[in-house]
Amino acid sequence: MAAETSHTNITRRQFLKGSAITPLALMLAGSGVAAVYLRPASASGFTLRPPGAIEEKRFLSACIRCGKCAQACPYQSIKMAGGDAGTGIGTPFIIARDIPCYLCSDLPCIKACPSGALDKKLEDIEKVRMGTAVIIDRETCLSIRGLRCEVCYRQCPLIDKAITIEPRHNTRTGEHTIMEPVIHKEKCAGCGICEKSCVLPKSVIVVQKSVEIQKDSYEF
Amino acid sequence: MNSKWWILRRTVQLAILALIASPLLGMTFFRGNLAAADLFGLPLADPLAFLQALIGGKVFVPSYLGSALLVVAFYFILGGRSFCGWVCPVGLITELGDKLRLRLGSGESTLPLATSRWSLGLVLLTVAATGIPLFEVISPIGIISRATAFMSLMPLLLLAAILLVEIVVSRRVWCRSLCPLGGFYSVLARFSPIRVGFDKERCTGCNDCLLACPVEEVLAPSLERGERQVTDGDCSRCLACVDVCPTRALHIDLFYKKRRTEHIS
Repeated sequence: MAAETSHTNITRRQFLKGSAITPLALMLAGSGVAAVYLRPASASGFTLRPPGAIEEKRFLSACIRCGKCAQACPYQSIKMAGGDAGTGIGTPFIIARDIPCYLCSDLPCIKACPSGALDKKLEDIEKVRMGTAVIIDRETCLSIRGLRCEVCYRQCPLIDKAITIEPRHNTRTGEHTIMEPVIHKEKCAGCGICEKSCVLPKSVIVVQKSVEIQKDSYEF
Repeated sequence: MNSKWWILRRTVQLAILALIASPLLGMTFFRGNLAAADLFGLPLADPLAFLQALIGGKVFVPSYLGSALLVVAFYFILGGRSFCGWVCPVGLITELGDKLRLRLGSGESTLPLATSRWSLGLVLLTVAATGIPLFEVISPIGIISRATAFMSLMPLLLLAAILLVEIVVSRRVWCRSLCPLGGFYSVLARFSPIRVGFDKERCTGCNDCLLACPVEEVLAPSLERGERQVTDGDCSRCLACVDVCPTRALHIDLFYKKRRTEHIS
């Protein structure tokens, strides 16, 4: 044993310090970083992106996280994701209940995007499809309960297109009308102004992922 | 010994950080960060970010290619990894961290410089295979930029981890051997015309330059071989050697010079 170590002139301590610790430390640091940062971005479900955002998976690849869209937004609707967003770190998102997208007619966020993560071909705000508004709690919605609220309808930038009011008889009182807001998902831009405007403590109308418009199987 | 280049380089490094922070103060001549930016209306884009967006996102925007090529041309002329030495905010911070490491006398061991080319390959492979733009996700450059421009401070933990590893274990390992963007620019830099030139007749062999150089495995072999220029792509053109050289044997060359062929007679 002694003869074997003598001709290398490297002690065990030196070997460990010089050759083993660096890769080990780097592996530890690397796996720690990977565990924090390489989580799937969609872990929390749907993320509301700025107007023109391409399909989510490709968006996460195409977005280079420069923040120019957020800097271009005059309402500061667009925020930049932090480390809790996994691979979506540094990508832009909108919390509609805080500040929704006000659908600027010149779409400055899309103009600011260099990489095409926000589609430059989109120029008409009525063609924006960030998501679709959905009334998630019909039993709480004041209008559906028979009161005259309709705030979401009045605030909708695509009033009478994306949201319409469909009156029907109130069978509970027997003498009033229920003015129900109805969302037309093929017209809804998903800007979230309705979600912001809902007067209840917890908005009953929220923007969710757009679903593909299904063709009716029965053609009449 | 003078510090002409050192002062200029620090000024540029700090000016870049100030540019990134400027939109916070309501100024409008700069938008974005080092991944993509508008400077006085001139669109600029990081070429590695462009490649990742192109491969992973499968979107092609001609103006984006143009702004990436502009940056490629700029760093090609100014020496590739001059981005690392002059522009990158991570370089600034790890340089300061290295001063602390020197005080502590810890963590001398390093990885080979060529590792950065491997991590460049890894980034391109990952984005091609999974669509995850690996470097845009973990990039400490982006993290610092967004911490500066958007006060997104939590991800700075990654930078803290890098600093810790560099100070305790491995000297400037991120910038030297791991950063894929550094690897990208080192490939470009091999062909750059602006280089550190070496005048063998003036050299007194004092070795001050080798002590000052952050990548001494680049400078030392060139000097030993008596080459007229440092041609290695990993030279960040920080010009610490030029500053420190007492006889001005080291200087800046603006054009290619033929390699001196060794004649041993």
